[in-house]
Amino acid sequence: MSRRAVIAGVGHTAFGKLEGRTAWHLEAEAAAAAVADAGLRPSGVDGLLTDPGPTQGILDGITPHFLRLGAQLGLDPDYTGSEILGGAGSVAIVERAALAVEAGLCDVCLCVYGDSPLSSAGAFQYGRGDEAAFGFFGAVGLHALAARRHMHLYGTRSEHLGEVVVAARAHAARTPHAQKRRPISMEDYLVSEPLVEPLRKLDCCLVSDGAAAVLVTTEEHASDLRTPAIRILGHAQAHSLSTYASPDHFDTLPAARCGPKALAVAGLRPDDVDVALLYDCFTIVVLLQLEDYGFCKKGESGPFVEGGRIGPGGSLPVNPSGGLLAEGYGGGMLHVIEAVRQLRGEAGERQVPGAESALVSGHGLGMNTHSTLVLGS
Amino acid sequence: MSDPQQPLPQPDALTGPFWEACRRGALEVSACADCGHRFLPPGPCCPRCWSTQLAPQEVSGRGRVFSFAVYRRTYHPAIPAPYVVALVELDEGPRLISNIVGCAPEEVAVDMPVEVRFEEADDFTLPRFAPVDGGGENP
Repeated sequence: MSRRAVIAGVGHTAFGKLEGRTAWHLEAEAAAAAVADAGLRPSGVDGLLTDPGPTQGILDGITPHFLRLGAQLGLDPDYTGSEILGGAGSVAIVERAALAVEAGLCDVCLCVYGDSPLSSAGAFQYGRGDEAAFGFFGAVGLHALAARRHMHLYGTRSEHLGEVVVAARAHAARTPHAQKRRPISMEDYLVSEPLVEPLRKLDCCLVSDGAAAVLVTTEEHASDLRTPAIRILGHAQAHSLSTYASPDHFDTLPAARCGPKALAVAGLRPDDVDVALLYDCFTIVVLLQLEDYGFCKKGESGPFVEGGRIGPGGSLPVNPSGGLLAEGYGGGMLHVIEAVRQLRGEAGERQVPGAESALVSGHGLGMNTHSTLVLGS
Repeated sequence: MSDPQQPLPQPDALTGPFWEACRRGALEVSACADCGHRFLPPGPCCPRCWSTQLAPQEVSGRGRVFSFAVYRRTYHPAIPAPYVVALVELDEGPRLISNIVGCAPEEVAVDMPVEVRFEEADDFTLPRFAPVDGGGENP
């Protein structure tokens, strides 16, 4: 028994359009579910970290997200904060919680993601600074540039992007809480609406109201709790803040730097990963990560995903709950939760047999931020 | 063309000179007097050596398409689809987001040589890019 970090509780709300409830309602529900899952009481929480999601950020220009949520949950923690890292935020707060409990800054750290973009006015009405003058809006345009670049360099085809969402939908069909449970075929994908070519609407993640929370504590502390502790074996971050000025910004994600680091700390190689929870805001990001994490060689992710390799029953199941493309937009925290469920062996119909190690990633902003967790049972 | 609702650049102390140069029909990058690095967007220091000895430098306006995206959905009423957003890599090195004009979206390709074509949008002059072989000059 030691101060080594583990995940001892998980919980989330429904995902979809949840009218009449604010993000605060959802975050409180997810927090309570995670604490109950661990068999703890709220008074046992002494750390709070939050990922406010795409539309919350700094509230009212001055109140940090953690302060308002902490007040609502009645917490006076020994450690707190919010991370604004876009889609890398949820994995990053779990990582920060691991560092905090291992350093003794707190014993039980609650990590909360939440947002309600579908039920909040004005959500997603952002451009990209001066670039909006050229009609360059949102994350989809940016990832379309990445997809086009990959197609140019490596001969990647639309069908390869399609494999990712076809797999995600097949996974989600086995996930009771998923937002999009109807499977789709490659034909459905290829005739679907083009948004920003080469990306179609089906290449884009869902937009969801919802919240998800996990509880990070130490192995020692978790021995008293009711759930099997899932160990945090390794973690790392890497970022590309220089954006377009970086020579390989659209070719290689920072995952190529933090992935090997996190796996090395865990003592694992890519081949040892039983289930991959890869941040999937757009299909192209899954392809890039398969390469940058070393599951296949650079440029070969297209052929790698052919034939259902990342789908149910494939040799590398990716996002068995459906991910952002089909389960719901959970900021990355749903990816962490699915990894925990797989490693506990409680994923039901979608359980990956004998899963003992999982890799979880977060990717955010203008392809700028990346975070990696390696978990083990 | 110039719809009053068109989203426009928001020049500040750092980017103002870039947009002023566009108005004069010149494309400028920032150049570091210490290490020679040229970059966009303009910043408070050289992103390579952190020198503050910077000066604007007019460039050729020629470059190539590093990557591009074809907008098939209209996201803003003043910018109707289809249109092409590209990351252009200038011959002098820096990259910038712009539009490819003067050819059909289907004709745009990665690595295609392009040159700047200044176009008015409200009170701004936007640096867009057209194929070098001159397809579809302004009437």
